[in-house]
Amino acid sequence: MADAIVVHDLRKTFTRRGQPEVRAVDGLTFSVRRGSIFGLLGPNGAGKTTTLKMLTTLLRPTSGEITVEGFDPVKDPLEVRRRISVVIQESAADLFLSVVDNFGTFGRFHGLSSSAIRERMDDVLDQFELRSEANRKVMDLSGGFKRRVQVAKVFMIDTPVVFLDEFSTGMDPILKRSVMARLRQEATRGRTIVLTTQILGEAEELCDDILIMRAGRQAARGDINTLKLLSGGLYEISVTFAALPESLENAIAAYHPHRVEVTQNSALITVREQEGRVLDLVAHLGRLGRVLRIEVSGASLEDIFIELTAAAPEVST
Amino acid sequence: MSALSAIMYREGKIRATNLTFIFWDLFYPLGYLLVFGVGMTQAMGMKPLAIGVDYNAFFLAGVLGMASFGIASNTAWSFFMDRDNGIFFEMLTYPMRRAEYLLGKGLFNLLVSIAQAVVTVMLAEIVLDVPIRWSSLPLLAAAVFIGTAGWFFFYAIFALMIRRNDVFNTVTSVFYFILLFASSMFYPVEPLPTPLRQLSWANPITWHVDVLRYATIGVGQPAIVWLEAAGFLIFTAAAFAGALWALKQQ
Repeated sequence: MADAIVVHDLRKTFTRRGQPEVRAVDGLTFSVRRGSIFGLLGPNGAGKTTTLKMLTTLLRPTSGEITVEGFDPVKDPLEVRRRISVVIQESAADLFLSVVDNFGTFGRFHGLSSSAIRERMDDVLDQFELRSEANRKVMDLSGGFKRRVQVAKVFMIDTPVVFLDEFSTGMDPILKRSVMARLRQEATRGRTIVLTTQILGEAEELCDDILIMRAGRQAARGDINTLKLLSGGLYEISVTFAALPESLENAIAAYHPHRVEVTQNSALITVREQEGRVLDLVAHLGRLGRVLRIEVSGASLEDIFIELTAAAPEVST
Repeated sequence: MSALSAIMYREGKIRATNLTFIFWDLFYPLGYLLVFGVGMTQAMGMKPLAIGVDYNAFFLAGVLGMASFGIASNTAWSFFMDRDNGIFFEMLTYPMRRAEYLLGKGLFNLLVSIAQAVVTVMLAEIVLDVPIRWSSLPLLAAAVFIGTAGWFFFYAIFALMIRRNDVFNTVTSVFYFILLFASSMFYPVEPLPTPLRQLSWANPITWHVDVLRYATIGVGQPAIVWLEAAGFLIFTAAAFAGALWALKQQ
């Protein structure tokens, strides 16, 4: 099965008068398998949205090659636009129009007949729980509902490629789960989904293939299991004490933790150590106070992400 | 449904959400003619101008030109609305060419401006006895259509290149002041002092209003009017090219 998206040595440089040149994307190469869910991850300013803008004809690359469903977004932008639907990062809707009219105009732009619009709208209104708001102007809806309208639109049409930039912003967990299930279904039907997200659990659960970006370049690439192999000796220890020991931070400092998150009487500690040293740390924690629960696991996507993208260890409470 | 008709459908839907706006669009030129035109005619003692018509008849074309200018700047301003709503960039990923986006956005409002012109001209004849040259109706429709399009494309360049709404509003105010008053919109150009007269002849509003005046009441030398029409067509084409360039820079 051919790739839906192919990107080769993509670069985008921004130049502003009197300011140093910014290389937002710097030699990115990747491809996206048709019918897969591809996650583009990275910290703020890593170049994810710039990459997405170049893939969706919103921005011309400085150099490099892109094909989306076999078409070049620079040379054949219209052919690309016929094959994609896009949820941009910012909230985007016709505020003066009702929910129904937003769907109607979107459908018309994508060549749907009135009857097809009605039929698909029914399905989308139900899935996104927008039925009761159908005739309200979008300007009168809450931020979360506006986002629903924006995301729901891409399910009105059947473009082979869907781009979602931070799609779940403002969605409640139940709706998010339902949208994720729908995205999975769409991918099974052969649609290619490209998404960016800051919520790593979302990417871990949804994406078949992940590219982590840092400073415009590829920091890591692969499916979730491949990425976890990159963690090489990274362990996560989750411990709950009866009462949080005061000496906790001092006690674990010797293990050079990658990350420590303390919440009430629990701590999540990420370390890169030999197995023996990890067991030693577990024993050490046991001596600090009465332990209610302790669990040791391999690194999560979040740990790998932080290791690959952050310069210094992070400690948060 | 083509991209052009889809974008016209969208513009129509948005406009239909505000009936006051539609009413204002259709009738404000007539109101202007009644208040300003009749006021000036009374103040000047109902004397015909040197060109042989009274001020109401003279000012009709000015009002139509002003209405085109107003619709064009409002339509261009709606790019800011689209940007504020976030829909602007999303729409740029829809299956349409940039030129179709520009034309479609303009087309709906061009139709509004034609309806507006028809209402104004009909009521100008009925209420103010302006002697309309009905045989030139196709020329009038073309002048309104191309005139509104030209000014929309002209303003779109600024609406697309300027990021701040308040800066755009300042720019349009400057254009209103300079372009409207240094033109044949409110008074004949010939008696003006030389620098103002030269500025007026170089102003595309003068070309547009002169064609409208010729089409409505038959005043003007045909050779000059056709030259002005050709000049305005070139201005419209250049403004379209500029607006398209500006849209492609987004």
